Amino acid sequence: MNAIVISAVLGVVMMFCGVFTNSKTAVRNVAIIGLLGLIIANVLDLGGYHFFDVNVKGMLAFDVFGLLFNTIAFASTWIYFLLSGRDMERVGVNLAEYFALIFFVLCGISIVSAFNSLLMLFLGIEIISIPLYILTGSDKRNLKSNEAALKYFLMGSFSTGIMLMGITLIYGVKGSFDMEVIRTGTTQLTPMIAAGLLLLLFAMSFKVSAVPFHFWTPDAYDGAPTVFTSFMATIVKVAGFIAFIRLFEGCFGEIKAQWQMLAAIITAATLLIGNITAVFQQSVKRMLSYSSIAQAGFMLFALVAMNDMAKEGMIFYAAAYSLATIGIFAILLKMKDYTFEGFNGLAKRQPVLAATNTIFLLSLAGIPATAGFWAKFYMLSAAVNNGNVLWLVIVGVLCAAISVYYYFRVIQAMYFKDGEPQEIETSKGFNGLLIAIAAVVILLGIFPHWLLDQLSNIFFL
Amino acid sequence: MALGSAIMVVISRNPVHSVLWLIVTFFAISGHYILMNAQFIGIVNLIVYAGAIMVLFLFVIMLMNLNAETEPQKNKWLKLAGVVAGGCLLLVLVAALKQAEVKGKVALLGTGDIGLIKNLGKALFTDYVVPFEISSVLFLSAMVGAVVIGKK
Repeated sequence: MNAIVISAVLGVVMMFCGVFTNSKTAVRNVAIIGLLGLIIANVLDLGGYHFFDVNVKGMLAFDVFGLLFNTIAFASTWIYFLLSGRDMERVGVNLAEYFALIFFVLCGISIVSAFNSLLMLFLGIEIISIPLYILTGSDKRNLKSNEAALKYFLMGSFSTGIMLMGITLIYGVKGSFDMEVIRTGTTQLTPMIAAGLLLLLFAMSFKVSAVPFHFWTPDAYDGAPTVFTSFMATIVKVAGFIAFIRLFEGCFGEIKAQWQMLAAIITAATLLIGNITAVFQQSVKRMLSYSSIAQAGFMLFALVAMNDMAKEGMIFYAAAYSLATIGIFAILLKMKDYTFEGFNGLAKRQPVLAATNTIFLLSLAGIPATAGFWAKFYMLSAAVNNGNVLWLVIVGVLCAAISVYYYFRVIQAMYFKDGEPQEIETSKGFNGLLIAIAAVVILLGIFPHWLLDQLSNIFFL
Repeated sequence: MALGSAIMVVISRNPVHSVLWLIVTFFAISGHYILMNAQFIGIVNLIVYAGAIMVLFLFVIMLMNLNAETEPQKNKWLKLAGVVAGGCLLLVLVAALKQAEVKGKVALLGTGDIGLIKNLGKALFTDYVVPFEISSVLFLSAMVGAVVIGKK
């Protein structure tokens, strides 16, 4: 509850900030300090200090898994503010409002990581989506941004409608929104539950951009201002997965055998289409949005496997993927030319940028000694433990191999080609922060057990 | 009547006719609500949807000045794919709802004052107070968004 209330209040604070001061530095500092407070409040919540004693009537349930995920999401956002806060100023004049909207998204994230009732799921997903539509369209003079926002908004509201329809059908069978009530007694699929389950599956797949519901992703991610793409593609996407897993474990855990195959097919399609299409992209930004579809495929493994290992792996994946992608987008923001050619010869001019970018890309590709390797490893081994979906694991390994190709194109461009300087000057602090993130990525890659041991300690206490 | 007018909304050539049929649909749906003892929702549906939102719809359509010439041509295969997909969804939903009808007894018929605004308010501010409060965040963010997008 700490996180929900404080993030909503911080959103309001940011709006007032925009009224009282014109200094962009002040606004950004308030946001950074506020977010730090939010992280601390959330960690305290984890430790048993609850600031707000609200009777939630069973609508929300704060478990360790959700709170831990909140911590990772907030920490990634904090790093994102530090790295890319300055670049938000270039988008438009409403800097304080952008921060406010991001805080509202965080409020939505802390709801979807704790919902215990389908009503709260709906509210949480909407609180995440609506600010995102606006952030996508925030570059008002850019036609591409407008188009992306409109497309995202229309398709997003349509999928919300589908989700509502699914919730209604489930309510029609069970007479309750409560996940406990829905789970108990749901041992076989009646047509009505099946229809509700399918509609919910489709709507959630849309929100996490799984194939074949991914068509909005490249356009929305490509059209949105790059700063906000970074936020959408990392933190928000991972939050969608948390909601997805929570919903399907909480409501339909007992009838897993019936939908597991369907989820496995969606996963395989997501992996194949995401990876293969990414190979053909000419723009790094567009390549990254397809790669985010491909990474979504790996995160879907957690949904298919649905065991303790998968949940731990999901947290690990969230951290590894968010850190690396935020880093890459922060570097991309310093580029003037978003094609692969834009990166030519970067290593000679900006060795720090090139080296850290290489580490992030290697992590996304899942090369050993980076966090991404262990994240993929845990996902795949969770699926192996599950036993039913070995063919899916093979598809996953093949796709990881394909992904190496397009990530290495960027590395190749940076190190082995010469080109004109295309980038904006970077400050020392920015470089230092990038090195710190890269260090974390490598540390997690060498000692993955540290984070996972912490996780299992908390889980099995 | 709701079904008939809803079909007319989709197949009407003229967008203004579509909107008028949509109003008829909303009236029919309100009738259903009232039959099911949900008077408050029925009336709100009339005022908000049939009243306010439809006026907005009409304005937008008149400002856009649509007519048959500007209508984009649709691909034949796309139409076919749409029919197949829609038909599948229809099939699944009909199968789901057919089973539900066996249970009979839809709501508290006759006895219920469940749809009265007093009971609705009580439920909203006791059992559902958390989602009620949290939806304020949703509206706030939507408002901020409208201002951000609308401001020059």
